[in-house]
Amino acid sequence: MKKALVLFLTCMLLLTACSSGTKEAEKEKEPAASGGTTSTQEAGDKEITIWAWDPNFNIAALNVAKEAYNAKHPDVKINIVEYAQADIIQKLNTGLNSGTTKGLPNIVLIEDYRAQGFLQSYPDSFTDLTGKIKPEDFADYKIGPTSLNGKQYGVPFDSGVAGLYVRKDYIEQAGYKLDDLKDLDWKQYIEIGKKVKEKTGKDMITLDPNDLGILRMMIQSAGSWYLKDDGKTPDLKDNAALKKAFELYKEMMDANIVKVNADWSQFIAAINNGDVATVPTGNWITPSVKAEAAQSGKWAILPMPKLPDTNGSVHATNLGGSSWYVMNIPGSETAADFMAQTFGSDVDMYQTLLTKVGALGTLKAASQGEAYAKADEFFGGQQIVTDFAKWTSEIPKVNYGISTYAIEDILVVEVQNYLGGKNIDQVLSDAQSQAEAQIK
Amino acid sequence: MRADKQGVSIRAKNAFTGWSFILVAVLMIIAFYFYPMLEALILSFKTGTGANLSFTGWSNYERLLTDKTFLTALTNTSIYLIIQVPIMIVLALFISVLLNDNTLKFKGFFRTAIFLPCVTSLVAYSVVFKYLFGINGLVNTMLMKLSIISAPIEWITDPFWAKITIIIAITWRWTGYNMIFYLSALQNIDNSIYEAARIDGASSVTQFFKITIPMLKPIILFTSITSTIGTLQLFDEVLNITKGGPGNATLSISQYIYNLSFKYTADFGYAATVSYSIVLLIVVLSILQFKVAGEK
Repeated sequence: MKKALVLFLTCMLLLTACSSGTKEAEKEKEPAASGGTTSTQEAGDKEITIWAWDPNFNIAALNVAKEAYNAKHPDVKINIVEYAQADIIQKLNTGLNSGTTKGLPNIVLIEDYRAQGFLQSYPDSFTDLTGKIKPEDFADYKIGPTSLNGKQYGVPFDSGVAGLYVRKDYIEQAGYKLDDLKDLDWKQYIEIGKKVKEKTGKDMITLDPNDLGILRMMIQSAGSWYLKDDGKTPDLKDNAALKKAFELYKEMMDANIVKVNADWSQFIAAINNGDVATVPTGNWITPSVKAEAAQSGKWAILPMPKLPDTNGSVHATNLGGSSWYVMNIPGSETAADFMAQTFGSDVDMYQTLLTKVGALGTLKAASQGEAYAKADEFFGGQQIVTDFAKWTSEIPKVNYGISTYAIEDILVVEVQNYLGGKNIDQVLSDAQSQAEAQIK
Repeated sequence: MRADKQGVSIRAKNAFTGWSFILVAVLMIIAFYFYPMLEALILSFKTGTGANLSFTGWSNYERLLTDKTFLTALTNTSIYLIIQVPIMIVLALFISVLLNDNTLKFKGFFRTAIFLPCVTSLVAYSVVFKYLFGINGLVNTMLMKLSIISAPIEWITDPFWAKITIIIAITWRWTGYNMIFYLSALQNIDNSIYEAARIDGASSVTQFFKITIPMLKPIILFTSITSTIGTLQLFDEVLNITKGGPGNATLSISQYIYNLSFKYTADFGYAATVSYSIVLLIVVLSILQFKVAGEK
């Protein structure tokens, strides 16, 4: 008994010693610390940190913006930090959940598919930019993902507009002209693919079975998505566009015109090695295609094929665009001002972005100008930016909601089942019930 | 009376010294182990996205029972467990007995070579394996050159072969780790026991099954439990080699937890629930293994 008492007292003593020690230490530190905070806060107001991924595209664009802003506001220090997209998501989620804003950036790049997830999951964590930028200045389809309850949170950036990258030489070897591939539907695309395979031995397309980007592009071109307009109700079972997309996917696989890849590097390798005749994907692939200088002049970019027999399907769609978000932490004023003055309105800066980085934004006013009309020798002198800008304005608006990737993981499995012979209606209705159980 | 009092104070002094030594560690363990475990348990009763969490009782556990993806992850993990752990244990046992042979030359070299995989970074080796087993990778090229196969095997993109690839990878990585335990245990077996057996005319196979295995039983139990726990927590390999694909064919439970937390819109409550299912599995499997091995 006595022993226990002694033990208890010692513990108490040690604990109080510890805690009072820290308290005293804190007290001692306080004047210095608060002095430090004020000085960093003063500096903090004038110092902002930005997180983004992709050094060739987003980081390069940020550097252009930084230069433009610093020319007018030399007192503001801008730190640009590069992380992989997955790391940013992880850091944001853990940071915002822990309730401490320490270590979070002032501005962060978020993919449009994920934006609503963040805006709805962490209310008040992002700064309302209504009044700082005008939503109507940007491409319409970007406003859905970047706003919530009528408030504009994101500064729309990367358009993610998609096009059909085509190897002219392969197409010609198969007996087609480039014009034959303009304004196709996917059914015709597959037919051409078979011919190309027969004549050249090259596959028409390369796909990663774990990434359903092609399905996303197909259904968005018809103004359809995995979810209904409310962004919550799964729309898989009776989704005509999705059903068509599934059927076309299987047709491609069955036609043996697909080179399967397992990841990004194999995807890029298939393009640069000349293994495939076409690449339907987002315009952000341009730098990677151009990386193989020996193929200069062999490529062209055509409008995306549309869905056959589907109402409202157009030759324009989007894949994985992203936008900037200002976080509600000290320094948000400066950060918001930086965004408003650069990506939010600076038409000249967008011209520099194009010439220097090749990055296409979604600010409507910026889509005129010399840089936009420039011919690209790699693509046989095609005015690719003018084309992309035109398609950008045609992209149907959809509500991505908060569950794109959760639903896609369900679909990835069902696609495999479907390829294995399961009935399409059963596939979609199973996916529907799973999605309903998943999203609550 | 006086002597007794003195005794108490010495004992108290000893206790004070003892406890003060471990107190810091105990407090740390409580703060960084038990407190998070408790918090996770509480979290598993909450539902919602991101920071909008609210108590919903057993709903996460009910969802777990009807969750097809969880079932797939559980099945995959069980397949790894049932196939890979026995293969690895037997292999490690076999190699360690070979390496324990006194007549073997370059023992140090072989031991290092087999142990080396265990100190490589999980991510680094996974990435290397991914390229080795790629469709145009070294493995396919070699098998084709040796005319063992006529067309390249889709190691990563075929549901069956992807599982095999994962099993090969974890076997490569962890066999040496278990081997070290067996080797050190083997060195503790008195050589005279083998000598006596040899005099009695026992063949080396009999010696292996009648002496080595029974003597190593506690170590075999230990390695099988740690390997089971390791397999249930399998994450890096799957994420880096196959990303859980094709179509969740290689998805592990840990990766599903990661997906729920970070790939999808964050649902930390349900992710905590799935984590607790691993805790439960480890407890049940460990008890089973103790029972099978006949230890208390």
